Amino acid sequence: MWIELAHFATIIALLLALLQIATPIIGVGIQRPVWIRVARQSSYVVTLLLTLASAGLVVSFLNHDFSVKYVAEHASRSLPTFYLVTALWGGHEGSLLFWAWLLSLFTTIAVWRHWSTHASSIPWILSVLGTVISGFLILVLFLSSPFERLTNPPFDGRDLNPLLQDPGMVFHPPFLYIGYVGFAIPFAFAIAALINGRITDEWILATRRWTLFSWAMLTTGIIFGAYWAYYELGWGGYWAWDPVENASFMPWLVATAFFHSVMVQERRRMFKIWNLFLIITTFALSLLGTFLVRSGVLSSVHAFASDPGRGVYILIFMAIILLFSFGLLVLRADRLRTEVQLESLFSLEAAFLFNNLFFIIAGLTVLLGTLYPLAVETLSSAKVTVGAPYYNKVFVPIMLGVLILMGLGPLLTWRGINGSRLRSSLVKPLGISVLGMAGCYLLGVGQPYAILMVGLSLFAIAAHLTDLGRGITRRMTNAKEGILTATVTLLTRNKRRYGGFVVHFGILMMAAGFVGSGLFQEEKNLIMAPGDFTAIDHWRLTFEKIVTVKGSNWEAQEAIIRVEGPRGLTMTLHPQKRDYQNQQMPTTEAAIFSGFFEDLYVVLGDAVTDNTWAFRIYRNPLVSWIWGGSGVMALGVFFSLLQGRRREVSRQ
Amino acid sequence: MKNLWKVILLVSVMTILALFALGLENDPRNIPSPLVGRPASPFSVPALDDGPPVTLESYRGRWLLVNFWGSWCISCRSEHRYLMKLARMTADRRDFAMIGVDFKDTRDGGKEFLASLGDPGYRQAFDPDQKIAIDWGVYGAPETYLVDPEGIIRHKQVGPLYEGWFEKIALPIMEKKP
Repeated sequence: MWIELAHFATIIALLLALLQIATPIIGVGIQRPVWIRVARQSSYVVTLLLTLASAGLVVSFLNHDFSVKYVAEHASRSLPTFYLVTALWGGHEGSLLFWAWLLSLFTTIAVWRHWSTHASSIPWILSVLGTVISGFLILVLFLSSPFERLTNPPFDGRDLNPLLQDPGMVFHPPFLYIGYVGFAIPFAFAIAALINGRITDEWILATRRWTLFSWAMLTTGIIFGAYWAYYELGWGGYWAWDPVENASFMPWLVATAFFHSVMVQERRRMFKIWNLFLIITTFALSLLGTFLVRSGVLSSVHAFASDPGRGVYILIFMAIILLFSFGLLVLRADRLRTEVQLESLFSLEAAFLFNNLFFIIAGLTVLLGTLYPLAVETLSSAKVTVGAPYYNKVFVPIMLGVLILMGLGPLLTWRGINGSRLRSSLVKPLGISVLGMAGCYLLGVGQPYAILMVGLSLFAIAAHLTDLGRGITRRMTNAKEGILTATVTLLTRNKRRYGGFVVHFGILMMAAGFVGSGLFQEEKNLIMAPGDFTAIDHWRLTFEKIVTVKGSNWEAQEAIIRVEGPRGLTMTLHPQKRDYQNQQMPTTEAAIFSGFFEDLYVVLGDAVTDNTWAFRIYRNPLVSWIWGGSGVMALGVFFSLLQGRRREVSRQ
Repeated sequence: MKNLWKVILLVSVMTILALFALGLENDPRNIPSPLVGRPASPFSVPALDDGPPVTLESYRGRWLLVNFWGSWCISCRSEHRYLMKLARMTADRRDFAMIGVDFKDTRDGGKEFLASLGDPGYRQAFDPDQKIAIDWGVYGAPETYLVDPEGIIRHKQVGPLYEGWFEKIALPIMEKKP
């Protein structure tokens, strides 16, 4: 019953979304605003209907309605209620519906907020977003329907893939989707600006918060994915350069380039075509990600259901959107030429230019690495994979370059800085950086990259703090404020700038985590019988026994391991091998001790004989800095979002 | 030269789209199994229906389709109709036989599955401890193997068989090798 209601709501939503594409175009054509208002109301109703549809699917899960194929494949009677709800996006069909629902919700918010401030853009925004929603709804309704019923319903469902029964996985997809979908709004604004042909900076001001918000969500989503891979997959790492991971990383890289270069357009009226290119590419890459994941052209650990018919459809849909938007950009580009030239290599503009260059090269690297196996397989039918060594070779130098720029940023000014001022502001950060590197070397760090990373990070931190200190002293002398008042006013008056600083600190923390765990991981594989002990660095582990434990829908073998660490630290770790009742795949539950400086990570392998077991033990330095850094980063974005628009956008 | 970037942009977008279009022909399920081209691991196990044991050896000299399934497997339900049809369709062929392997299942569960969805009529081996499944490198259900008259695995299909599978995949392999 519920599922039919959901199905019906989705059909009506598709019809209204199609109306939302057509009526604004007609309205603009015949100059009748009432047509545009029809599209606005449709977009509101689409949101309501898709909310109903998603709710219908969730209720079917809660009712254990296994006659619904999607429910039968992704739930079981013993699945905890929490996962019954989140199973909505646990599979291919449901996550597409979820995507469409999010997009409709964002459309409604965008239209509601920008209706009177951006009247000339709104019709095109409605049309563009209507097109994207329709594209997804057609896919949901005709090619991968979550509403399908089974003629022979099983008594119990197949259960949610056990790997997905994890809190990390519950939050990974929605954050990622919110990020992807969020970029649709700036994309629609950009297209509207291109169609109107009056390309002011309005679209950039209007979408600043959308971009930042989506970027933060995408970052958080990626980090949740990494966190899940680390805690659930049990291979001791968090990132594998898998095509599907790359699919989320590419839009991230381009979006990062975008909101840096946007600042140049705001201040200096440069990079106009470039910014349009970047936002279109960001959204195109979000779609590409969906295509890669959902069509099955690439084999990946994220082995999703695939179907050639679906692939053809997504490809056509993507081709229409890509060719239309890039074509439009090419057609309108000549109207956008800027007269402004770079005045100095030592200016913020130039720094942002290099920043963009680095991020775009990084993006292209990932794109090539992702597409290369596809090209080889298509042209020669051989299977190849591109792995970490390729990416590391390119990424390490690029990230070092980005770090240098991050440090230089606060020291530079728009339109160029004179040499002596630059030299004087470089002294302190450079000094601190050199001292830090020397300290590392003396402490016995042998890895040149690690030393360089420490130096560059210290340089960046010192540069940011120098800038902050300068701002505070200026306020103290000019406004005669005390140090505390000066700091607070400075921060609250420039939320956007200092929010950005906090984001940079978060990124630096994450970078420390990547370098620490990437370069200094220790791994040990061994077979132990109860009573055996082993050591990894300063940890001493004793394998006491194996016990059997039971959860609501699984049974596991659990090793009890007593650990003695540095400074008298003792604890017991419980790595498990779980068998879920309705699935054939056993899962490993790694036991992890997360410390401030390092993680101890223990994986229970198979039984070798009746009394001995295989173990993998890792010491992963600084991994928790990655998770912590992403939190700091999110705080920075939040702080930055609090700032209102720099100036009221004039009513058109 | 001023407009070179436009050409590069559009050409790269179209190249990527074309690559995807060609790439759709690739079947991601077509994961090369290391066991294809190797002799199938022999077995002789109890039948699901309490009849005499099902033995791989006894099918020597004929092409054999081995379908791994379980009553817990949702996709096996949707595949079952085609298996019934295929069994009827090939009933007259002397050079071709089919068997099923019900694995990681209970005897009642397997019997109940056949009783409610229909019995295709060929023999069903019962493999509750996945002994055969592990030897044959099965990692999901349904999976189907095509074994030649000499007992060599010639093809592995991951995922459900579909309408027209026999003509499109199995026949060309069977006709290539007399």
